[in-house]
This record gives sequence, C-alpha cells and structure tokens, in this order.
Amino acid sequence: MAAVRLVSVEKRWGDVTGVARQSLEIADGEFMVFLGPSGCGKTTTMRMVAGLEQPSSGEIWIGDRDVTDALPKDRDVAMVFQNYGLYPHLTVGDNIGYPLRIRGHSRDERRAKVLEVARKVELEHLLERRPRDLSGGQRQRVALARAIVRRPQVFLMDEPLSNLDAKLRVSMRAEIRRLQAELRITTIYVTHDQIEAMTLADRIVVMQGGVIQQVGTPAQVYGQPANLFVAGFVGSPPMNLMPAVVQDGRLHVAGQAIGGMPPVGAQGIELVLGIRPEDLLLVPPDEADLHGQVYMFELTGDAVLVTVDIGSSRICVRGDRHVRHAIGDIVGLRLDPQHCHFFDARTQQRLASR
Amino acid sequence: MTAHVDLSLAAPLTKARRRRGQHGLRNAAIVLITVVWVLPVLWIMATAFKPPSEAAGLALWFAPTLANLFASFDVPYLLGSRLLNSVLVTAGTLAIAIPVSTAAAYAFSRFRFPGGSAAPLVLLATQFLPPVIIVIPLFVVFRNLGMLDTRLALVIANLSFVVPYATWMIKGFFDALPVDMEEAAQIDGASRLMALWSVVVPVAVPGIATAAIFSFVVSWNEFFYALVLTRDHAITLPVALMSARTEQGDAWEIMATMGLFIIAPMLVISRFVQRYFVAGLVSGAVR
Repeated sequence: MAAVRLVSVEKRWGDVTGVARQSLEIADGEFMVFLGPSGCGKTTTMRMVAGLEQPSSGEIWIGDRDVTDALPKDRDVAMVFQNYGLYPHLTVGDNIGYPLRIRGHSRDERRAKVLEVARKVELEHLLERRPRDLSGGQRQRVALARAIVRRPQVFLMDEPLSNLDAKLRVSMRAEIRRLQAELRITTIYVTHDQIEAMTLADRIVVMQGGVIQQVGTPAQVYGQPANLFVAGFVGSPPMNLMPAVVQDGRLHVAGQAIGGMPPVGAQGIELVLGIRPEDLLLVPPDEADLHGQVYMFELTGDAVLVTVDIGSSRICVRGDRHVRHAIGDIVGLRLDPQHCHFFDARTQQRLASR
Repeated sequence: MTAHVDLSLAAPLTKARRRRGQHGLRNAAIVLITVVWVLPVLWIMATAFKPPSEAAGLALWFAPTLANLFASFDVPYLLGSRLLNSVLVTAGTLAIAIPVSTAAAYAFSRFRFPGGSAAPLVLLATQFLPPVIIVIPLFVVFRNLGMLDTRLALVIANLSFVVPYATWMIKGFFDALPVDMEEAAQIDGASRLMALWSVVVPVAVPGIATAAIFSFVVSWNEFFYALVLTRDHAITLPVALMSARTEQGDAWEIMATMGLFIIAPMLVISRFVQRYFVAGLVSGAVR
C-alpha cells in the first residue's frame, strides 16, 4: 500500500488538452473516486497513474518512487477495466493466476492464492470455466480477483460496474467497498455515476474539461459544492440554480424579493442561488419566500418531485410522498437559509452558504 | 352431374409441387457446380494411375498402375528433389512470413507513428504492380549475388508478396481485438512483447492461421518467380510440371502424378484447418 501523488501532471495530444496541469495527493489506503462527465479527463488521469498513458509533463509518485517513466508492469498497480479485460483463451483460474504466473510464482503457490481469492469473491466453483461461459457479474468478480491476487500497492478501477444491470451494480458496489475496507489498498475509482461516487468514496475528485473542480469527502462535495459545475453535476435531481441579486439591501431571487434572508455579496453583483430539491419546502403561498406555478408533478414512491416555474427559472422540489399538486397550481416555497448556496455568476465560484 | 373442385385443397398442393420443383432445380445446380469443381481433380487422380497409352482418354475403367509414380521420381522428372524444393521453399517462406507479418500487423494496429496510417496502404500498394515488372530487378539482384537457382532466392521472392497480404489479414484481426486485454496483461506484469505472445497471439490464432493457410497456398502454388529464378537445382513442383512437355509430346500421366503431389497438401490442410479458416474469415462480421 502506498500514497499516490500527482505533481503538475498534464496530458496533451497536439492542441487537445486531455488533462490540464493538475496536482493531487491520494493518501495511503484511501478510496478516491474520480467523478465527472465523459471526456472530463478522469480516465486519462487514471491511465497515467497506471502507466498506460505517458504524461506530457509533471511527475507521478507511488509511495516514495517516481514512476513517471516506469512501465505499467513495474508500478505494482492492478486495474479493473470497464470491459473486464479478461483473457478469453484462459480459464477463470488461469485468468486470476496470470499476474502470479508472469511474476514466476510456483504452480502450488499460484493454486493456493487463486483458491484463496476465488473464495473471497465466491468464484471457487467456476475456476475451470472460460470467461465466455460467465455472466457479467461473474466476469467482473474474476477481474476483481485477478486485481487482488497479488496485493498491489494501488488498485485502479475504470468504471468497473457500468456494464452491469442496476441490481447487480448495487451488490457489486458493496462487494468492492467491503474488499477495499478489508485490504486497505489505496484505490482510484473512475465513474460518471455520482451514486457510486457518493457511496464508495473516502474522497471524491470532481473533474471537468481536464481540470479538477473540487476534492473533498462526499459530504463536502454534496453539501458545499465549490462551484456551479459541481453544484449542478452532483445530486439527482441536481441542485436548483436561480439567478439572484442584492438590490436596496434585499435579496432578489428569480425576480422575487425575499425577506428574512441576510444579503450576500455587494449591491448589484449578479449571483446564483443554489438550493437542493430536498431543502425546499412546499408551503401555502401566503407563508412563502417564493411563488411559482407547478409545471410537473411526479411520484417516485418514497417522495414526490414537483417541478415549479419561478419567473424564467424551473426548479425541482422534493416533497413528502403524500403531497399532491395539479399541474398549473400556484404554490409557495420556503427556503432554508442554512442550506442556501451562493455563487458568483461571473466566476462561477462559491461565495458562502447560509 | 356437376363437378366440384375444392380450391382450398388445390392451392396448397400446387404450392407444394412448386416448392418440390424449386428444390429439384437447386439440387441439380449444386450437383452441376460440384461436378465442374471436382471433375478435374478426379481426372488428375485417375490419370496418375493410368498407363501412358490411356492417359489422354476419358475411360473410367482401366488397369491401375504405379509405373507413372516410379517414372516421376526418376530422371528426367526428379519429382523427389522438386517436391523437397517446394516443401523447403514453402516452409521457409512461412517460417519467416508469419512471425514478421504478425509483428508488423501488431505495430500497424496498435502504434501511432508518423505515416502510420499510410504505411499499411503503401505495403499493399506494392502488390498492385504486375509480378512481371518486379521479377526483372529481382532476377538482376539475385544474379549479381550469385543466388539464381537457389531456394533462398525463391523464399525471398515469395516473401515479397506473402508478407504484405499476410500483414493485412492479421492486422484486420488485431484491429478487432479489444486493447483492454493486452493493457491488463501489461499491468499484470507482462512486457509488451510478452503481452503480445501470451495474450494477443493465442486469441488471434484463427486470424494468424488464416494468413498462414493463405501464405501456404500461394507459396506452394507459386509458378512465375520459380520459373524465372530457377533453372535446375531449385525447381519447384509447379515448374516441374513443365518438364513433362517434351519433344515426344505431353506426358499427361506424369503431369497428373505431379499434380497429385501438388494438390495433396491442400486436401490435407483443408481437412484440418477449415475451422480456423472460416473463423478467421468471418471474424469481426458479428460480435
């Protein structure tokens, strides 16, 4: 196990920037999730740690070794690929034992270790099968077993659950978390699925356009987004973002003046108010901070999602599952100042939270 | 009395009759095509065992003899040494062409380098030149090197057309293989060469086997270069056929005997490697 350190790492292909100059430190034994939309540079960053991509500049350290120019085989990392990357001509047992065979372990030693990790991921009865005879979940477990069979210093996982169905994804997610907690191996996990990120990570790195937008615990990323991108990307439904401005000492949100909320920022500066759907309260119009008209009403089972038009903004409110509204109803919304987030509309950076 | 025709029964009967007719026609076409393909082979097989006096005839019944076989191995035909030449030239060509083509195909498929996308096309474009143009410089070079009428010269000449085609065939196969697999091998501790050998090649066996079969067939049957570049010692089987055309006339029974030796490996190969060939040719068509 070892810490991973990226020092001013950059990846360019000609004029195209895959990853802008970035630095990051991942602690020994930490479960770090790279989260972001497609093309944000998260996979490229991880591939540079693996040695599958050469950084255009910067340094990569694993433990106390500078591995920037080291071959993948010399970095002591293990990787689980999105498409599993299994060897179709080998049996499950030989797939799991491949890293040991390449490193010259004896046949008996290999057999014992393969059996040990196969038991850990409940594959011991499938060791003689070939990958094509396995289900998606079983293949993913083979890939996991192959990664843990030699206890590497760093685990790298590139969207390992994206090819599985929703139910299997939940169980495999728990499996991965349990394994990592048991082995305490430093892990970098790439995903665009924020639920995976929130449930698995010790810390999350949110990326966009090759640039790290925020690094923090899941609670920090969700509760104190560093900028408008993070605010809009993390959360389902995402955070509501409405234009706001301070005029005459009062805060105006989506064109409506709000009393009882201390103004943020200087007079006349364009702001964006962010508030999560669950932090908004549906109230009778006469008790409300904001007024709007119901655009859509959805029952999700455990809650209702009410989409409300307020001026030119369309926001989402998560309410009690017993609440009912018809499309076109006039509703009132109360904002909890504790959960309001303010961003500078120009710089898109977070200003403060109430 | 009025006759009633049950149309509901007549229609299916007509359909069934038409279907039977179509089946009959189709079977007849299959038989015809099979006969056209198989008949020359059967003719060669039969003629090889006919006495010279009956060789030109089409008689189906004859007293089989091994005299042609013995005559073929004797002077002036020397089938034994010609066969050895063909075996060595083909084996030499394959022994060099397949590893070289596999390595080249892997490089073209996986590495990005200046001119990397044009290089395979240039390689293939060299094959668009007629062999009669290429054979002249080859003849001059081999003559200056003192390599005329040697097996090595034939191997080199064969490589000039086998390697480009084999490279293209194997490259197509490599292109269809996911890169994840070999990246996984590299992370698991293999060098790139070891990943190629232990992961990529075993998975690409159908494609490599297809290229090997193709290379074998064209090398075994190669006539033109062998005709121009050999005179006596390195003559291969296809050229040896010419020796059966003498001033006394064409010795069909000797040609047929030599023909047997030319087609025999094809028949053996087709029996054992058909599944690889089919798998190689259709790979990538469906996932």
